[in-house]
Amino acid sequence: MYRLTDRFNKSLLAGLLLVFLAAGLRAEPEGQKGAAQEPVQATQMGSTAAAAGLFQDIEERSLSFSHSLDPARAGYYGLGEAATPEMIAGWDIDVRPDGQGLPPGSGTAEIGEPLYEKKCAECHGVFGEGAGRWPKLAGNEPLVGGGRPEKTVGNYWPYASTLWDYIHRAMPFLQPQSLTDSEVYAITAYVLYLNEIIEYDWELNQDNLATIAMPNRDGFFMDPRPDTRNVACMEGCKDPDTIKITWDSTRLGVTPVEHLQQSRATPLPGSAPQSGDKVYRQACGLCHDSGLGGAPAIGDKAAWAGRIAQGRELLIEHAINGFQGETGVMPPKGGQAQLSSDAVSAAVDYMLGRVGEG
Amino acid sequence: MTRHYNSETARLLGVIADEANKLPVSDRRDFLRKGVAMAGTAIAAATASGGALASNLPPNIPASNRSLGPGVVTNPYGQPSRFEGDVVRRTVPWLTANKISSISFSPLQELSGIITPNGLVFERYHAGVPTIDPSEHRLMIHGLVERPIVLTMDELMRFPSTSLIRFIECPANGGMEWRGAQMEALQFTHGMLSCCEWTGVPLSTLLQEVGAKPQGKWVLAEGADGAAMSRSIPIEKALDDTLVVFAQNGEALRPEQGYPVRLLNPGWEGNTSIKWLRRIEVGDKPWFHREETSKYTDLMPDGKARKFTWVQETNSVITSPCPEKPLRGRGRYELEGLAWSGRGRIKRVDVSFDGGVSWQQARLKGLVLPKALTRFSFEWSWKGNPALLQSRAIDETDYVQPTLTQLRQVRGVESIYHKNAIHTWKLAADGTVTNVQID
Ligand code: HEC
Ligand code: HEC
Repeated sequence: MYRLTDRFNKSLLAGLLLVFLAAGLRAEPEGQKGAAQEPVQATQMGSTAAAAGLFQDIEERSLSFSHSLDPARAGYYGLGEAATPEMIAGWDIDVRPDGQGLPPGSGTAEIGEPLYEKKCAECHGVFGEGAGRWPKLAGNEPLVGGGRPEKTVGNYWPYASTLWDYIHRAMPFLQPQSLTDSEVYAITAYVLYLNEIIEYDWELNQDNLATIAMPNRDGFFMDPRPDTRNVACMEGCKDPDTIKITWDSTRLGVTPVEHLQQSRATPLPGSAPQSGDKVYRQACGLCHDSGLGGAPAIGDKAAWAGRIAQGRELLIEHAINGFQGETGVMPPKGGQAQLSSDAVSAAVDYMLGRVGEG
Repeated sequence: MTRHYNSETARLLGVIADEANKLPVSDRRDFLRKGVAMAGTAIAAATASGGALASNLPPNIPASNRSLGPGVVTNPYGQPSRFEGDVVRRTVPWLTANKISSISFSPLQELSGIITPNGLVFERYHAGVPTIDPSEHRLMIHGLVERPIVLTMDELMRFPSTSLIRFIECPANGGMEWRGAQMEALQFTHGMLSCCEWTGVPLSTLLQEVGAKPQGKWVLAEGADGAAMSRSIPIEKALDDTLVVFAQNGEALRPEQGYPVRLLNPGWEGNTSIKWLRRIEVGDKPWFHREETSKYTDLMPDGKARKFTWVQETNSVITSPCPEKPLRGRGRYELEGLAWSGRGRIKRVDVSFDGGVSWQQARLKGLVLPKALTRFSFEWSWKGNPALLQSRAIDETDYVQPTLTQLRQVRGVESIYHKNAIHTWKLAADGTVTNVQID
């Protein structure tokens, strides 16, 4: 094993102090200020990574690290075959933000559009909005403001090279590494276009890809952990009267639990029809309890009035087969394909019964 | 690990059919005929003794004493007892769009000690499990090196190797619970976590062998799967304790775990430990691939995201009791749990029965190794009172596992990864255990 150099260790200690000061200003939870802070030993790589606050960024930190590999010992074991340039060229597919690794080629969004529609849209949606539960590729929702912002190429990815690299190595999902380099350029251009980052007829190629300024390029900073300072209090650590249960997992009922209930009452399979409220808790509450993702919240008269007007049959049909409305996407059977249609309609009846309860 | 089966006819018939399958065909019919008759009486005899066959309980001599079992190599590769049939990995179907890129969880509630058996190690694939013939597999090492090489598996295994017991945890472990408790079982709250003895060649040995150049500051590791999974790893880590692994718990890697060869970055988020490793490239800068930009970055409340959040910080959870293992009546119990830290050894674990008002020190049990699961234990007597059970681990850097409130204060609820908060189980007067969050 190789050890970090002394010099590096010293700079780490200095880095640690800075991290502590910074964490004190930035991350100290209320009520913990001034709590005894014991120094962290930077003996393991985990801590050294966290302690790298001395440097602006991890890349810089890494550059300052010098290893002590002895060139004279290269080939000591003499095992393996020399990797020839041809072998390497075949396997070396990675692309970096500075464009290193991009093969010659070019394409425009215009050329990419039909390719995307044929090879990508069934999962990622015609506009990159994501079909069903497949990943969304386009959108520029702000990343602040709560509400579980959906990260996309447009609002989150810092480098265009990542998009080229990923499409080339892993997509389309069912036929990875089946696209030609030019197809990858054209489809990458189209996804960038869907995110309003380049124009429809702008030609993307190996020389200009690295020049694209992605909207969230500066949205990342290096890991500042450890970022909490809990203290190991033993007695009277809080006022027992203030403890309240804020969440109880059984309220949602969204995880498979048959395996832990088997030693309790075991109804014979297929006997009692599933009650609407049980199906609801298991498959629908996740979204409809709170209105997650634009779902009409249970009991919310306003959200349901217009829908009820369409008639029970249509609502049941939408719940079973899925439905894309103005507020969001209702996945078929709430995403739980194993549910029978009867179970889903029982859940819809239960939901309808709750409308107006408040 | 005792199962409390009820005496369902179906199960008994299943057992009999199972047994029959082990017999030569000629004997099967006879066995089945007798078996079905036997099942009838057995069912009647059962129940009284909580599901066990009364004829097998004292003072009767159990059937196993009065008969012979199958001989050697009936199962050339041994399997767990069939009574352990529900000790399996499980998934939560709605977490992902499909099973090809998905996750399954280890049944922590059923495990003893610190080693996860190979068949129960949690799974995370981005493109399913590739089938790789080791004779066709090659590991290429190139980039900023003096001697780029291609190794066969045999050649790789000729380098001096070492074995380490280390955990692997997906950084999304528990990540479904930033906003609230929704997983109703320990397997789902903490099961993206496993610990094995890994055997392989230190990456430092291989980097020395190829003569990594001084400008080489990063390595890219890449998989041979349909995702060609790739991550950038700083050379400090690569030279510190990264291992190129070909065996786990004494046998070749399981296909699910990267057969024939994978990387292991001890203490770091599982995704960096690239499976089905086919290529290592030495470079001067990180690659910023999808798995270190779009994913595995942690979004903070101000809209900025943390990158390269590699280390898995100190964490712990009580594994008994837990939702799957409720208490069955008052009396003495050994409370047990697991603690782990990506920064080193676990130094101490405390447990609380009152939601964190007061704490008592637990005992560390068995091996206490750096970056490995560590089992803790606390003997107690349950008087039937409802309780809020918690554990709090401290590692050798003196970092104290935080409360969820402390984590949320710093990170908000959108960061998905690295939730290592003190976990709360609600114990009810009837002994059932529920996953809750408290303030
Ligand atoms: C059969 C469905 C399917 C098809 C078709 C498909 N993808 Fe994907 N795509 C996925 C899945 C699943 C993932 C996530 C994989 C994972 O994380 O393991 C994904 C991920 C992505 C991502 C990364 C998303 C993110 O936020 O990190 C991009 C970009 C992408 N796909 C582009 C494409 C392009 C371009 C095509 C067409 C050439 C395509 N995909 C075709 C299913 C599909
Ligand atoms: C993943 C989130 C999610 C889950 C789970 C879910 N829904 Fe929905 N549901 C929605 C959304 C979003 C809408 C609103 C769609 C729109 O109108 O834009 C909706 C709408 C509906 C509607 C109204 C349809 C209409 O035509 O207006 C019904 C009925 C419904 N859901 C029933 C169910 C039932 C029954 C279940 C459980 C079996 C369920 N939902 C599970 C998200 C969900």
